[in-house]
Amino acid sequence: MNQLLPALSSESLKLKRTLALWMVFIAPFIVILLQFFILYDRANFFAGRDAWGVLMYGVTSIWAIFMLPLFITLETALLSGLEHSGQSWKHLFAQPIPRWSVYAAKLLTVMGMILVSTVVLVLGEIGAGKLLSDLRPELRFHESPNLTMMVRMATMVYLASWILLAFHTWVSMRWKSFALAAGVGVAGTFFAVFASGARIGKFYPWLFPVNAVSTSPERMKLAILLGIIGGAIIAVVGCWNVVRRDVD
Amino acid sequence: MNHTALETVGLTRSFGGLIAVNNIHLNVEAGSVFGFLGPNGAGKTTTIRIVLGLIKPDRGRVMLFGQDLSSHRLSILGRVGALVETPSLYNHLTGFENLEVTRRLLGCPKENIENALEIVKLTEAAHRLVREYSLGMRQRLGLALALLNRPEILILDEPTNGLDPAGIREMRALIKQLPAQFGITVFLSSHLLSEVEQLASHVGIIHQGTLLFQGSLNELHAHQHERLVLEVDRPAVAMELLTQQGWHVQREENNRLTVSSQGRKDAAFINSLLVREGLKVFHLSRQQPSLEETFFQLTGEPTAGDPT
Repeated sequence: MNQLLPALSSESLKLKRTLALWMVFIAPFIVILLQFFILYDRANFFAGRDAWGVLMYGVTSIWAIFMLPLFITLETALLSGLEHSGQSWKHLFAQPIPRWSVYAAKLLTVMGMILVSTVVLVLGEIGAGKLLSDLRPELRFHESPNLTMMVRMATMVYLASWILLAFHTWVSMRWKSFALAAGVGVAGTFFAVFASGARIGKFYPWLFPVNAVSTSPERMKLAILLGIIGGAIIAVVGCWNVVRRDVD
Repeated sequence: MNHTALETVGLTRSFGGLIAVNNIHLNVEAGSVFGFLGPNGAGKTTTIRIVLGLIKPDRGRVMLFGQDLSSHRLSILGRVGALVETPSLYNHLTGFENLEVTRRLLGCPKENIENALEIVKLTEAAHRLVREYSLGMRQRLGLALALLNRPEILILDEPTNGLDPAGIREMRALIKQLPAQFGITVFLSSHLLSEVEQLASHVGIIHQGTLLFQGSLNELHAHQHERLVLEVDRPAVAMELLTQQGWHVQREENNRLTVSSQGRKDAAFINSLLVREGLKVFHLSRQQPSLEETFFQLTGEPTAGDPT
């Protein structure tokens, strides 16, 4: 841990003035905004339902299916891009710190950023619900939001996304090309649409975040379990692969 | 007695069947400025990357401060500062913040940043974004990054590459002051012979992955054979006469000859020989070959011209 903290502290400073940092707030905000306008625009349609539930499931679905996988792709590519564009790997790996700590710090930083986004998402849901209840009284925001449920769902989605975090961190650090990193992420998310209908879709990593809030307990458990375990395995193997390579 | 700061033993590394460095034995004395000279693609950067542990050699080992790099990487790197090719900088951060990023990794005191900025004369520009820096300022910031840890040895790979003449002059002046002022051993690579001549006390010449010469600049000079330039009335006769005596003679224009010689005694001997044989000697001078010519002799290639 003593060797990891300096690397983490160094990583955090690099985020200053970056798009990657802004995206931590922008990405969940876009999802909230989208769901806000859906409810605002179609208030009459949703009038008879539990509005907090509609808001929560709507936000979580858009977040888990589309935004989160693409957001992870973007964040990992932007963070590694800082090093690729500045030709900084040679400088970092020539410092008197273990190479694994550079890799681990990068991964933990992006994991931290996605966690903050998840918190922003939950806070945004509450804020959007409160605002909608004022603007659209016909929506049934009478009771308090089910905070436990909101946090639970967001946490499960986050845990299931670890495999994507670990995988995209490896891809973005291993290869210099932003296009490659982005392409892999977009392709993975795109094929999730088709994989969702297939029986083996439950093993498709880009579906893990949305499967984590599935109504099927089996799918839900599998997504979270594979998300965490797969993430840990890819993190270790990816780190091993990157740190033993020649540094350009 | 001088001790060795950096030593490489039989370093060999190839890329896809092409040998980049071949059995390199370097010996860099502590307190010296070692110029690692060679044309582009000679294997300088590969050697430096191996020395910094960025790539692994196929064979051989690197010793720094008497310790093996493969088993003491972290403790060794803590005593090394390096600037490999272009500096590794984050354009969206200020100069100060760039140094702070590395300082946090090193865990050294904050005052090291101020000191490094002062040495490279960037104190005033420290809080400007690096994307606004000139090439020369970027290179100096790269040097500040290398100095942040107060290293015992500074490894610089082509530190003046791409700089304008003013930038080159500034960078060289900075590098020159380091050994005397801070006791830092400097190992710098360059393809510019004049740069090495200006900065280095010792030189290693590498070509096509092979180390052709290693020693002090004085030893390199001693390695060179001087020439006698003669102007005589009958060059053909003089040439025959000197060749018979075992001299290596070359015919030049305007009745001139050049003779490979060992020094002033040879000049006196040749002069008296020619006069005794009835030739008229109009001109006789001793010429030291330039380092550039020596480099050419060793590598078989001319060096690039120095822009300054």
